[in-house]
Amino acid sequence: MKKGLLLIVIFLTLGLLLHTLPSVGQESEEEAEYPTYPIIFTKPLKAVLFEHKVHVEEAGLSCEDCHEDIFPMEAGATQENKDFNMQALYNGKYCGACHDGETAFASNTRCATCHIGVMGWKRLTGKEKGEKEE
Amino acid sequence: MFKEFAKWLKTLKNEGVDHISVEERRAFLKMGLVITGVYAGGSLLSVVSRVKEVYADIPDYVGHYPYKPHYTMVLRVDRCIDCERCMEACRKTNHVPPYGWRTRILEQHLPKGDHQWERRFMPILCNHCNEPPCVRACPTKATFKDKVTGIVRVNIKKCIGCKACVAACPYDMRYFNEEKRAIDKCDFCWESRLSKGIFPTACAQACPAGVRIFGDLSDPQSRVYQMVHDPQRALWVLRPETGARPNVFYTIH
Repeated sequence: MKKGLLLIVIFLTLGLLLHTLPSVGQESEEEAEYPTYPIIFTKPLKAVLFEHKVHVEEAGLSCEDCHEDIFPMEAGATQENKDFNMQALYNGKYCGACHDGETAFASNTRCATCHIGVMGWKRLTGKEKGEKEE
Repeated sequence: MFKEFAKWLKTLKNEGVDHISVEERRAFLKMGLVITGVYAGGSLLSVVSRVKEVYADIPDYVGHYPYKPHYTMVLRVDRCIDCERCMEACRKTNHVPPYGWRTRILEQHLPKGDHQWERRFMPILCNHCNEPPCVRACPTKATFKDKVTGIVRVNIKKCIGCKACVAACPYDMRYFNEEKRAIDKCDFCWESRLSKGIFPTACAQACPAGVRIFGDLSDPQSRVYQMVHDPQRALWVLRPETGARPNVFYTIH
């Protein structure tokens, strides 16, 4: 009887340990893969949202597909370029490398998919929270 | 029996949609259908639904323009990205205080099915209605419809600040300006630009995406006339049920 109880206790402790340990490992692994925070471009206008998650998990891209030929690793660095605009995209630069209507939806369609506007920017950055009326 | 019919249907040749009149196309568009093929000498039509994409309720008053120039704005909403440069330009040009507004952007989440949605921004401004409820509501005739241009304006000397027009406006496009001690609203930049011969409005000038097309609807050569009268174009106005007959039109593409 006592043996049984002891076995149950051992099982429980082992189970608890094994349950928590690998999940910790998984999380850190995921974190290392790509940034989970949103990349928000605010130049030349507010604002464009880029999410690594969508591009990695849904589009199946790897880091090397964009970095560092099309975009440098530093988040938001590209917006300092003078030609970071829609015309450049139509010419196949930046996002336009894939968003050409064949690889991914064309840059001159579905504008508000990436453009989140001043409203979206305020929502994400928590600016003027008290002033905002919803 | 149906198999035979299906076989027969498949043998038919698409005679092309070129011979369908624009009126007929527009009639189908109003039902949310786009004609994609013509068969058996025009007795059979192939149509696809565009109800989700098109809400083609073309106002019946299109074609009657009592003003000259009949100022109007056509908004290509799917191009709006809420950069709010129009709002900034408007504030600067017309000295709109932080608590007020002459134009705004709304955000919509259009359902795409499958629990997904698509974002759409919608700029709104005074619709400069042909039958403006605000003008009817004003007890002092401070707000009036300009007899020449059709622009709904405010005579701030006559305004007593009762805000009856604010309550009457179907588009919430009026606010009380503390500095002027009067109601302020969009006047298509009449005072700041148009009356000085500067064209177009500040918002239309500032828009980087070409959303706001401003012009004279009574001029067949103008871009707005051609857009409003394009039978292929889905065109609608906001809150048509109020009977205000707005002069701000919405479209996509």
